[in-house]
Amino acid sequence: MAITLNFIIPRLMPGDPASIMFAQFKGKLKPEALDALKETFGFASGPILYQYIDYIKHLFKGDFGISISYFPQPVTEVISSGLYWTLFLAGTSLIISFIIGSAIGIYLAWYRDQKLDAFLLPSLSFLGSFPYFWIAMLLLYYFGFLLGWFPLRHAFSESVTIGFNIDFILSVISHSILPAFTLIFVSLGGWMLSMRNNMISILGAEYINYAKAIGYDRKLLMFTFAARNALLPSITSFGMAIGFILSGALLTEIIFSYPGQGFLLLQAVRTQDFPLLQGIFLTITFSVLISNWIVDIVLLLLDPRVRR
Amino acid sequence: MLINIFPLFSFLIFVSCSNESYSPEYGVMTISQEQTQAWVRNFNPLAPGANARWPSVAGIYEPLFIYNSMTSKTVPWLGTTYQWKEENKVLIIETRDNVKWSDGKPFSAHDVEFTFHLKKDFPALDGYGNWKYLSSVTAIDSNHVQFEFSRIYVPGFEVLAGQPIVPKHIWSKVENPLQFQNKNPVGTGPFTEVTLFRPQVWELSKNPNYWQEGKPKIEKLRFPAFISNEAATLALINGEVDWSGNFIPAIDRIFVDKDPKHNKYWFPKTGGSIFLYLNTTISPFDDVELRKAISMSIDRDLINKVAMYNYTEPAHQTALSGAFSKFRISNSLIKENWVSYSPEKAKKKIKELGYEKNDSGYWLDQNGKEIFIDIGIVSGWADWIRAGQIISKNLDGIGIRARIKTQDFGAWFNDLQTGNFSSAISWAEGGATPYPMYEGLMASKGIKPVGENAGTNWHRFGLLEVDSLVSQFEKTSIEDEKQKILSRMQELFIQNAPAIPIFADPSWGVFSTKRFSNFPTEDNPWAQISPNRTPENLFVLTEVEPR
Repeated sequence: MAITLNFIIPRLMPGDPASIMFAQFKGKLKPEALDALKETFGFASGPILYQYIDYIKHLFKGDFGISISYFPQPVTEVISSGLYWTLFLAGTSLIISFIIGSAIGIYLAWYRDQKLDAFLLPSLSFLGSFPYFWIAMLLLYYFGFLLGWFPLRHAFSESVTIGFNIDFILSVISHSILPAFTLIFVSLGGWMLSMRNNMISILGAEYINYAKAIGYDRKLLMFTFAARNALLPSITSFGMAIGFILSGALLTEIIFSYPGQGFLLLQAVRTQDFPLLQGIFLTITFSVLISNWIVDIVLLLLDPRVRR
Repeated sequence: MLINIFPLFSFLIFVSCSNESYSPEYGVMTISQEQTQAWVRNFNPLAPGANARWPSVAGIYEPLFIYNSMTSKTVPWLGTTYQWKEENKVLIIETRDNVKWSDGKPFSAHDVEFTFHLKKDFPALDGYGNWKYLSSVTAIDSNHVQFEFSRIYVPGFEVLAGQPIVPKHIWSKVENPLQFQNKNPVGTGPFTEVTLFRPQVWELSKNPNYWQEGKPKIEKLRFPAFISNEAATLALINGEVDWSGNFIPAIDRIFVDKDPKHNKYWFPKTGGSIFLYLNTTISPFDDVELRKAISMSIDRDLINKVAMYNYTEPAHQTALSGAFSKFRISNSLIKENWVSYSPEKAKKKIKELGYEKNDSGYWLDQNGKEIFIDIGIVSGWADWIRAGQIISKNLDGIGIRARIKTQDFGAWFNDLQTGNFSSAISWAEGGATPYPMYEGLMASKGIKPVGENAGTNWHRFGLLEVDSLVSQFEKTSIEDEKQKILSRMQELFIQNAPAIPIFADPSWGVFSTKRFSNFPTEDNPWAQISPNRTPENLFVLTEVEPR
């Protein structure tokens, strides 16, 4: 199903890749070149059904075809150039913001009548509603451009050798701080809020009152009795979020020139790079499926009720 | 909580300090011309549009002759002389002696022959349609090539002369030249050695065997991957880029003021104009006088000032600009003026044409419906969008409803080609003379019905006289005759207003003289500055010197 939609949707877009490429020459190429271009890429040839069968056949061989916007690189190569960086950047920032956000949420729910709650709650949800690309631009301008503390672009410095060495790792970290910070910054509020709300409803439950009355230790109450139950809905949405990591953080990637899936996707749409589009959609589909599967397993571990 | 933040913060500072600032070696020129997320190692100069890196066509490989649009001279390059014979049916090009490929093997006329035969064998490589008018290409001896034409087509010289020549001894072993990535190119150009290639940056060092003695003076070209115009602009301001073909808004304030001594730009006009195309298959835009009235209502000075940051100039009545200005007919022959801003005259003209207004003050077409113009523009092309906004306001001012319609590139270009638009802002054909532009604007031959893809003449306007002028032009190699034909084309253009020129089409050239000197400038225009104009960029690549 997903594979078929994957094939159909890109083809519903108006225009075709050859014309777009032709148009990029802004009148420098002769109109005849259009046919030449179509021949070069060998696409859109034959009836649509034939293309479809061809596409399915290749798919089973793990061959997504040749990218048009990154011609003549195979789609798998193009995707893998952005895949790891997206996994790294969006993945770590998701995990960090989930952990910090949830921790703050637990904390705030426990001390919900205190000043900290009254201050953090509105301010974090306020920050959460900030457009993250705006924050990204501010950070890039002040810390990257004016102060020069952080690099302006890319995932690592051009002068280091790629590999497992100190220079490279430091370079990767320093390049990822600003983009990761923007992603964490805006998503923190969401995790915090959902955790806090879950916690509050659970803290009101009878068994908590009972445990309190018995005189259980505060930490045991807070983390083992309350938080563990409150975490379940958050885990589900965490799983969803993991699945969508691969669609990339488009604007962050653009602003920091960070290699990643989001920009590839945008470029594929712009240039009507069907093979690349299909490849990216397929990886997103698979990652959503896989992460849902993992979440199910994690829920099994966390929630004994599901196991029964 | 606070205790935890401190080590984190000091770690951040530590990491950020370890990030060394970029200081290039002597003679390494950083260029920003293409925008991409990750470089693809592709140096195939033959496949058109097949995503070869920018220096492939003119840098690693070289053409036979280069037309210098600033001095209007044809500069011999791999070719030395050319000669038309047998009433312009045969062209003989003499190739240069003592040229070596970067691997040390000698270059000869046989390489030229081979390159053109490759284009014949693989028609997909023939994006410029050489073999539509060629019948044979043969190397007579090691330094003469003979081109025989199947029909007389003198402008073909420009195209043939601009063909990047590839080495026979390498390319004859390539099985599929269409998908050949040519990872380690062997060329005759000034820069041929790929010394570093990573997705984020790559470097191209100079050719040890370059035929122009003592050149190039630049040691190495360096290309960091910039994902967007903004990222490239930031690097330019930061002094990390030496030469660029980017559009930069408000360049005086943003770029030049940061370092007025070194930060320079020059935006020469390419020769043509950017046009507002009205679809002449739609009534009432088939009315030539109405098109002129619409043109008169456009405030081109305002567009240049607001939309184009004063980077260009309002379009001339002939739509010619820059180096093409010398082809312009004399002012006494320009009998009409429909490019000056005069909304009152426009309104009067529309009234005289017999159009009527409705109660809300808008003009009606013959069927009693309000005239409505959708101006199609690519979303994100901010300069054109601002121009479109001014135009729609201007039109509203004279009583024609108009609005801009922004579309994705693909959709926009598709509508343009299929004639499925009421109006659009777009470019016109380029070349060494204005003839391709006028052909594209007015020739009736090759007009496609609405719904079919048209390479040019999107507005579908044709004059039989232009067809015969075009075929005369293609047959003559005499400059006076060419000028006569071009003059007549201009008169026809002014009479018929096939499309409405808005502003002269500029090309972008931004550079820093901090580390390099001898760039062409407005005061010393010995060549085109924009890297976007291949193969003229070879002049800059061979002449610029590190300091």
